[in-house]
Amino acid sequence: MPAVEVHQLAQCITCHAWSPDRTMVALCPNNAEVHIYKFTMDKWERVHVLFKHDQIISGIDWSLRSNKIVTASHDRNSYVWNHEGSEWVPTLVILRLNRAALCVQWSPKENKFAVGSGAKTVCICYYEPENNWWVSKLIRKRHDSSVTSVAWHPDNIFLATTSTDGKCRVFSTFIKGVDTKDSGTSSSRDLKFGEQIVQLDLSSSWSFGVKWSPSGNTLAYAGHNSTVYFVEDVRNSPSAHNVAYRNLPLRDLLFVSERMVIGVGFDCNPMVFTKDDTGLWSFAKFLEERKTAQSNSKYGSQFSEAFGKLYGQSRHGANDGVDSLRARGIAHENTITCIIPLQKEGDKIVRRFSSSGLDGKVVIWELDYNTDIPE
Amino acid sequence: MEEENIEAMILRIEHKSKKIENLLKQSKPVEALKTALEVSPTNTKDQRCKSANWIVVHRAMMAIRDVDGMFSSLDPEYYDILMKYLYRGLATGDRPTCDQCLRIHEKLTEKAGLGCILRSLADTVNTV
Repeated sequence: MPAVEVHQLAQCITCHAWSPDRTMVALCPNNAEVHIYKFTMDKWERVHVLFKHDQIISGIDWSLRSNKIVTASHDRNSYVWNHEGSEWVPTLVILRLNRAALCVQWSPKENKFAVGSGAKTVCICYYEPENNWWVSKLIRKRHDSSVTSVAWHPDNIFLATTSTDGKCRVFSTFIKGVDTKDSGTSSSRDLKFGEQIVQLDLSSSWSFGVKWSPSGNTLAYAGHNSTVYFVEDVRNSPSAHNVAYRNLPLRDLLFVSERMVIGVGFDCNPMVFTKDDTGLWSFAKFLEERKTAQSNSKYGSQFSEAFGKLYGQSRHGANDGVDSLRARGIAHENTITCIIPLQKEGDKIVRRFSSSGLDGKVVIWELDYNTDIPE
Repeated sequence: MEEENIEAMILRIEHKSKKIENLLKQSKPVEALKTALEVSPTNTKDQRCKSANWIVVHRAMMAIRDVDGMFSSLDPEYYDILMKYLYRGLATGDRPTCDQCLRIHEKLTEKAGLGCILRSLADTVNTV
């Protein structure tokens, strides 16, 4: 059973992030606060409450090496929190947004972070030591609608974004003084800040959850039309492969290895996608096995009643309703919105990861060593 | 250019229509539906084409009596486009059409899953 630990930490969680040593988790319980929980003895204790934002916090990221927390909120602001002594001290980052911030992520080198917003812009923020503050540079062009997710390429320069205009784009975020030009990789024209490297117009519906594979060769994102898009060799000759699946859409993805992706979304059960030897991606299985018999709840019991009305036939009442939802035997009871890796630094394959969702649970998953993870 | 393409499409749909009538006379309603669904004009904005193709799909769809049997010989590649036409049918409000659409919708959802419904709803670009 891949779900190792299930923790009910709030009524509803918008996003979460783990501390570098993995003993503490920072989450937003669907309000303007960040709660940090520490697992001591055998129970969870709330050790800190970070209270500075005015509205819901839509993104949290906790950097591995520098131990800084960055938060982004619907109040159009972002704060970088530094741990000083026993307190978390916030530093406001002026993003210059006129709409909500929707997602945030530290770059691999942790010297920059990217914020996607409803203002159709992406803010790339970097630290200016002379003035002791974080400066925000905006990528204003190209997006036609809200930026729902951002993902950094391992090279710390390229950033992929997804948007509700259905497209996935890759930009250069090269900043003079912060990034160093890697000799021999690309022409200087490509490296200009805000330059769009590629625009992928594969989905005709909102896109979410973009992620790069560990090597940066493959890009994957989820469309709201129950399709996952895999793009190989994005820089030189992008070749796309769509996987349309039977179930409800996904909201976030995670590359477990070069050839295995886990997707989470409205089906409350993580989905596993794998790439075979010929390079073809496909849906492999659900991470958890559903325990109840499928005879009465073909589509999931919350729909049985609705379908019953649609088709004008009576359905057996016994298994319908909330009870059968719990009886389904899967960890999450509501939409999973966030999935993040929990591997130790240097691990090539992610065997341990966590997910959080609208049911207020943080679930830790572990793929046991018997599970074959294609590299 | 666009004009020529549209005229070509309309001709193709007329051609399809004749083929379908023949197939129905031979009691091959599933083949007729496949022919109707093939090369549907989803990537044009021209409503005449779409309506013309809908008439053809509707004709084939209403001729189906054995829905379960239909699915045993309908390839999965037709599922998404069929779902789009089912919703077009349900939108007409016409009783016999809606009854038939609901009958097929139930089985199609069983076969193709909720993802199929999502794809027909979320795609506002390639419409039927």
